[in-house]
Amino acid sequence: MTEPILQVRNICVDLVRPGQTRPVLRDISFDLVERQALGIIGESGSGKTVLSRIVIGAVNPPLKVTKGEVLYRGRDLLAMDRTEIQRLRGREFGYIGNNPGSALDPTVPVGQQIVEKLRSVEPGISRDEAVRRILALMGAVRLPRPEARFHEFPFQYSGGMMQRALIVDALVTNPAFLIADNVTQPLDVTIAAQIIRLMHELRKDFRTAVIFVSSSLAVVREIADDIIVLNEGEIVERSTPERIISAPGHDYSKRLIERIPRIWTTEAKQAPRPVDTQKAMLRVDDVYKTYRVADPNKFFGHNKVEAVRGVSFEVMAGENFGIVGESGCGKSTLSRLLSWVEEPDRGTIYFEDADIAKMNRRKLLGLRCRFQLLLQDPYNAMPPHMPVGRTIAEPLYIHGTHNRKEVRERVLAVMNEVGLPSSLYENLLVGLSAGQRQRINLARALVLEPHLLILDETLSALDQVEQSRLLEIFERLQAQHGFTYIFISHDLAMVRRACTRIAVMYLGKIVELADNQTVFFNPGHPYTKALLSAVPTIEPRRYDAKECLLEGEPPSPINIPSGCSFKPRCPLAVERCWAEEPALLDRKAGGHSACIWANASEAELRDAAVAARLRRESAADPTPDAVALRA
Amino acid sequence: MAFVLTFLLRRLAQGVIVVFLVSFLIFTLLRLIPGDPVRMMLGTNVSEVTLERKAKELGLRDPIPVQYANYLYNFIQGDLGQSYLLGESGGAAPTAQNKQGGQISAEAEIARDAESKTTRASVFKLIGDGLPYTLQLAGLGLLFTFMVALPLGISGGLKPEKWQARLAFFTGSLLISLPNFWLALVLILLISSNANLLPSIGYKGFAYTLLPAIVLAVELVPVIIRGLSVSIASSTQQGFVDGGIVRGLPWSRIVWRHVIRNASIPMLNMFGVQIGGLLLGGVFVTEYIFDYPGVGKLTIQAVLQRDFPIIQGVAILAAGVLVLVNILVDLVATYIDRRLKY
Repeated sequence: MTEPILQVRNICVDLVRPGQTRPVLRDISFDLVERQALGIIGESGSGKTVLSRIVIGAVNPPLKVTKGEVLYRGRDLLAMDRTEIQRLRGREFGYIGNNPGSALDPTVPVGQQIVEKLRSVEPGISRDEAVRRILALMGAVRLPRPEARFHEFPFQYSGGMMQRALIVDALVTNPAFLIADNVTQPLDVTIAAQIIRLMHELRKDFRTAVIFVSSSLAVVREIADDIIVLNEGEIVERSTPERIISAPGHDYSKRLIERIPRIWTTEAKQAPRPVDTQKAMLRVDDVYKTYRVADPNKFFGHNKVEAVRGVSFEVMAGENFGIVGESGCGKSTLSRLLSWVEEPDRGTIYFEDADIAKMNRRKLLGLRCRFQLLLQDPYNAMPPHMPVGRTIAEPLYIHGTHNRKEVRERVLAVMNEVGLPSSLYENLLVGLSAGQRQRINLARALVLEPHLLILDETLSALDQVEQSRLLEIFERLQAQHGFTYIFISHDLAMVRRACTRIAVMYLGKIVELADNQTVFFNPGHPYTKALLSAVPTIEPRRYDAKECLLEGEPPSPINIPSGCSFKPRCPLAVERCWAEEPALLDRKAGGHSACIWANASEAELRDAAVAARLRRESAADPTPDAVALRA
Repeated sequence: MAFVLTFLLRRLAQGVIVVFLVSFLIFTLLRLIPGDPVRMMLGTNVSEVTLERKAKELGLRDPIPVQYANYLYNFIQGDLGQSYLLGESGGAAPTAQNKQGGQISAEAEIARDAESKTTRASVFKLIGDGLPYTLQLAGLGLLFTFMVALPLGISGGLKPEKWQARLAFFTGSLLISLPNFWLALVLILLISSNANLLPSIGYKGFAYTLLPAIVLAVELVPVIIRGLSVSIASSTQQGFVDGGIVRGLPWSRIVWRHVIRNASIPMLNMFGVQIGGLLLGGVFVTEYIFDYPGVGKLTIQAVLQRDFPIIQGVAILAAGVLVLVNILVDLVATYIDRRLKY
């Protein structure tokens, strides 16, 4: 029983490039026993992905194993030849990577590819038998409509659904262990929470050992019995999740834990300068945006993608306004409307009480000096052939406000403000880090001295440390210049730290709008609660994901059904929710919520939850039991 | 299914426009470049008066838009007109035969003209006669091309740092530097004339297609090798290859079922474009050199003799073939990769 299935012994791996050799892994040893869930955490560059690949014997040049062995039930994987190891992969151990979108051939239906894999690793099995097993397992991982999904192509799957399909792919041979390399990283929080919950259940049902690799301790602790902390290719600590969080045994682990942002044990963000509650910097009044896309199933047909559906809010001068929501909720479209990159189909946007739609080109150009949009990807947002100083100076040339000498002075001043050394002035972008690039991006926006900055996932591509530093810069600039910020993000921990007032979006609408403290501690909308319950943290949870979060994904923004759009995933959904779509209601507790329960008491909510559960149970058809399938 | 219908309707409508534009351009340009077809028809010894009368009779002195409208009117009824010079029998029409025949009286010319009008060959028939030969040559050329280019290109793309890639690159570089007219002459000299292995010049049986097909293939092979090895190499960089390895798929299966499938889409697109440029161009030159009785030879002769109706007919045919091939290519590409539908 406790016989280890996998023994990694003194593994050393080097990265060999012409002229230089760099160690990636140094003297790694650990065991994995049956049914164990082993977590591996480390920052990017710590070697965790190389480690996750070495345990399936898949290390290719320029990586080179210089020492050690990987024993699977006593046999060294690294000494096997290609056909031998290829027979073990996929059958004895499954591997799920962090890029579900590209793991399968985009031109072949998903089901067919899983059949292909099953039949190549278990040659005896008939096609019908393979299809039957896969369909049953698709039901067990709660892929909706398995028969239809089986024939769909990878691009028709969302990230979360694809990750489920890949779990089917990995588990269909009933492997001895499973490697999950950063599986939740590309997913939205509620979807990631579903996947973690699913893996938890499957691990119990299938008795498979799991190696769960991630950069987030908060995610790994959800699933792992034991955690290995990896730093610069070395194991610095192995311990249980509780011990690592409460009493980290190594300096590195200690620093790692300190850096993880807290949600429930921090103070709500306060604006550094008093907010002018009379002066609206930006007023958005009932804005709509719909896109037309070709429908391949109808003759000359078109579908309407309703990206933004009637959004209204005001952003006061000096405020930090947050817009949160998951992918596809319309927040990026909204950011494009706010910065007038696109025009709304309906509704009005006022900037400092002037209707933007009524402005002519000249006035609009002048207006653009006063608000600036910053995007997520600092790599594609800047021309690669231009020196840094010239890139930052570009807006000044466009608006023609400064002469040459003044431009240089102004650019250097702004570079200094965002913490870029003036020595970078003549450099090209090549070789600069994501953090430095994002600073250049910020400097380019600041050089015009805007009043309003719209930050669309601006900090998402950065690691925790760099994120903190940039947040400090934002705060300092706000204190000095009285900026107004709109943060658009899916990262609730960041929003908790950076925003004073928060709007939660779901399927093109604002479903909750309140100040920071209310949104986090007394949310009025069940979606907000679901979102908060799904955020992985290392703190004690405030909301239980089991109660707040149901299965399912947001419906498609094409042809949105009537009624409340959250109803299929809502633990409080009753008859009325199918009939009416609630408007944003004032709450007694403060803020607004678009839910019929916005002002319900605790007791009413409890009754609603019970009623909703009964309703679901009577409607649900029995799901196949994963344990029975194993036989 | 609705998608296929929408697609076909849209593309065919676009295709018709393309064909009309091409025909108009060719029609206009032919009349703007120097070289008088009537002079070519009647020879150097006829009087200016006769020349003008003949030109008027053929409608060549009308304004170009009027000429084009007439042409279009006939074209829509399925009539591509008659060759200025070639007769029904396939040889030159009587007028052309006599063009060097010394001074003839105007009356005699006119009488001959009246006679020749009925005996001049219809362009439709001329193209129809040549087309089977051309299709046979093009088909065989493509077959030779694929027999050489597929193995070299695929293995070169799969092993980009091994000898396979070097072989593919070397073969490509060698073949692309051989001019087709030079190669044709060398092959005729060595294989036909000296060694007497294969016949060439003219057409008296299938064997006469082999040498021209080889010349055609030599021109196409380097292009296909290059395109294929690049698209195979980039296809192996895609996530599903590494994904397939960690999922336990055998390497051969990854290559045959997935890499080649994904690489075929850029290849198809390239093929759709190349078939127009290289294959058509190559066929024309090759046929001319080998005196091969296809549409290509017909066209080149027509160009040299300013036989406008033939040139126009071939241009419309070529444009039509290109449009159809590209519609087909796109349809097959969407069948292979369903993402292209969206």
